Amino acid sequence: MQLSLNEDQTQVLDFIDSLAKPYATVPMHDVSLALESAELDEALVENGFLDVMAVEELGPVMAALVIEKLARLPFAVEAAASAMVRPLIDPELPRPLCLMEEGKARKPLRFLRPGATVVVVGPSGVKSFITTEDMIAPAQEDTLYGYPVAFLTSQPDSMTSHDVDVAEITRAWRVAMAAEAAGLLGAALASTVTYVSERKQFGRPLATFQGMRHRLAEDQVMTNTAYWMAMRAAGTGSQADAAMALHHAQEAAKRVCYDYHQFLGGMGMTLEHPLHLWTYRLKLLTAELGGRGAQGLAAAEALWG
Amino acid sequence: MQFEWTEEQDAFRHKIRDFLHANLPDDWETFSEHGPASPALTAFAREFCVKLADAGILFPHWPVEMGGEGLGPWEQQILAEEMWIAGEPRGGQYMNVNWIGPTLEKYGTDEQKKRYLEPITKGQSLWCQGFSEPDAGSDLASLRTRAELKDGNYVINGQKIWTSYAGLADTCFLLTRTSDDRKRGITIILVPMDTPGITVRQIPSLIGEGDIHEVFFDDVTVPESARFGDEGQAWEIVGYSLRNERLGIPRFTLARAALDRAVQMLKAAGDFDGDYVKIEAARCAALCEAAGTANYAVVQRRVDGLAIGAESSSARYATVMAERAVCEFVIEFLPEALAGASPYLKMHHQRGIVAGVAAGSAEIQLNIIASEVLELPREPR
Ligand SMILES: Cc1cc2nc3c(=O)[nH]c(=O)nc-3n(C[C@H](O)[C@H](O)[C@H](O)COP(=O)(O)OP(=O)(O)OC[C@H]3O[C@@H](n4cnc5c(N)ncnc54)[C@H](O)[C@@H]3O)c2cc1C
Repeated sequence: MQLSLNEDQTQVLDFIDSLAKPYATVPMHDVSLALESAELDEALVENGFLDVMAVEELGPVMAALVIEKLARLPFAVEAAASAMVRPLIDPELPRPLCLMEEGKARKPLRFLRPGATVVVVGPSGVKSFITTEDMIAPAQEDTLYGYPVAFLTSQPDSMTSHDVDVAEITRAWRVAMAAEAAGLLGAALASTVTYVSERKQFGRPLATFQGMRHRLAEDQVMTNTAYWMAMRAAGTGSQADAAMALHHAQEAAKRVCYDYHQFLGGMGMTLEHPLHLWTYRLKLLTAELGGRGAQGLAAAEALWG
Repeated sequence: MQFEWTEEQDAFRHKIRDFLHANLPDDWETFSEHGPASPALTAFAREFCVKLADAGILFPHWPVEMGGEGLGPWEQQILAEEMWIAGEPRGGQYMNVNWIGPTLEKYGTDEQKKRYLEPITKGQSLWCQGFSEPDAGSDLASLRTRAELKDGNYVINGQKIWTSYAGLADTCFLLTRTSDDRKRGITIILVPMDTPGITVRQIPSLIGEGDIHEVFFDDVTVPESARFGDEGQAWEIVGYSLRNERLGIPRFTLARAALDRAVQMLKAAGDFDGDYVKIEAARCAALCEAAGTANYAVVQRRVDGLAIGAESSSARYATVMAERAVCEFVIEFLPEALAGASPYLKMHHQRGIVAGVAAGSAEIQLNIIASEVLELPREPR
């Protein structure tokens, strides 16, 4: 057991920090629902941050750390699928990568756009195709989710089949989502803590009310453990760890999204405060891979058969 | 105890449903996704409420002396439920018939009644409620917007926030400070929104266009006759109307309707199978019904002429729990609903997420329950 970051990991994370600095806050005038930056994406690709998993001395934990770190930004980045799942399928697949459960085309896909690769994962295997404009319907303009999302309206007759294990891809997908959720949880917590420490009612900071302190402290425990569960799942490669990590993250997401919007009062309803960027991403992730129920069943299967 | 509606009450509900069916446009469901305060819905409501008035279902629960039919709190509840489930086609005018009208009747001067009641009964006026301020949310009694009496006029300076409907309202039911005596220093002034010196800024929000605003008062001058009640009487008046007139929005009914809609959609997609989704859906249904029972217990107190205290906080909190569960269920199982697949469920989401904040936060309700129902010693302040 060695749970502190090694030198390589520290270096990579520091590098990301400095590269992402201009994207660490929301531009004042920008109150859009989904915030993205093509320049940030480009910089990440150029510097190889989405390919760390394949580098021998870095590996999957590094990928999870990168995903977690990037998810903390108010800007949405398609990092999870690219950094954690793509290397297992075909490292050359064009980005963004959209992971879809077979038979679940009704659900909105994050980052779906012409030229994106859709990877369909399900009982009949792992297949992919590159999307064209005619396969995509835009989501409603004022979708709340904080990610760019769109719907797939049709799928090509022929897709590229990948000779990979469905269970293994699903496992990596779970870990990727758990790592992304961990970053979102961390950022949402930090943002809320700042607000309730500064905001006063009844002549004192909101954070001095014990009812709020206890809930926030529980939220911290869930958030902290979601981080460790995601990292451990990345490190062990175990099916049970992956399913439990995502289950835990999805459970945490439900709790904190409610709490944090409560704690911000009216401010939590505005687009002028960035909280919604993290919470509405988290909310969408509660639906990922069938939600807590599916993760629970997968974990039980892996643990006890 | 008797858990069925009477025949008359059923008939009343059907009358409203038939009216809605006949008078809402075919594309209403998509249309109503505009928030209740949006320009589109406000304009719609200005026509729709006239029709409601003509059909006698704008304010049938008002006493006969006020032009109503003198129906009771149950009918007021039924009316509110049917309107809210339908997406509230009255827009912001629900406040008028719910509590503003009766409060005007009880506390208003003859001049105020004459000026304001008629447009309400004709379905023609929109009010906003200027209570909260940037530094006075949960701690409303600390509000600071000043009204100073000078030469027979009140000169108002200060700022309100979160004011629903402010962008299009005709009149503001405004809480102002006329002396430093905390609760006893607060005075209501009825301010026409076109008075010079008022600036309204819409706040971009998660809950749709036009809903919440900042309102700035800069030397806004109104005659002394715009004061509602006496100086310092605001706390009593607002308390009275909260306790006696105002029914909480029957959010639990829309939450339940949204849940049913979500289950229908899941069934159509072949995804209402397996134990998990069913158990979760049933959990939501039970929470909606639980909120219903708590709300009805409050209505019963009104029927019995009993004062309403912390019961309404219990009902509010039960409603918040139901709204939370249904909002979460929809996203977990039907995330597409909020991205365009169901305007109705998105409309529900945007109204549901405010349940724990608007009109006093959920945590404040919990404090009230703790102090007044459980009679726990208070937290030291
Ligand atoms: C959609 C919407 C419409 C609204 N419409 C209107 C309107 O038309 N007119 C109007 O005047 N106002 C309106 N409001 C304002 C609403 O009444 C306030 O938002 C509400 O009272 C909470 O105040 P706040 O936002 O300042 O939050 P705060 O008072 O800052 O509270 C933030 C958080 O702190 C918690 N908290 C505060 N005090 C305590 C305590 N003692 N113990 C534990 N926790 C505590 C609260 O529960 C909440 O979770 C509206 C709000 C919304 C969201």
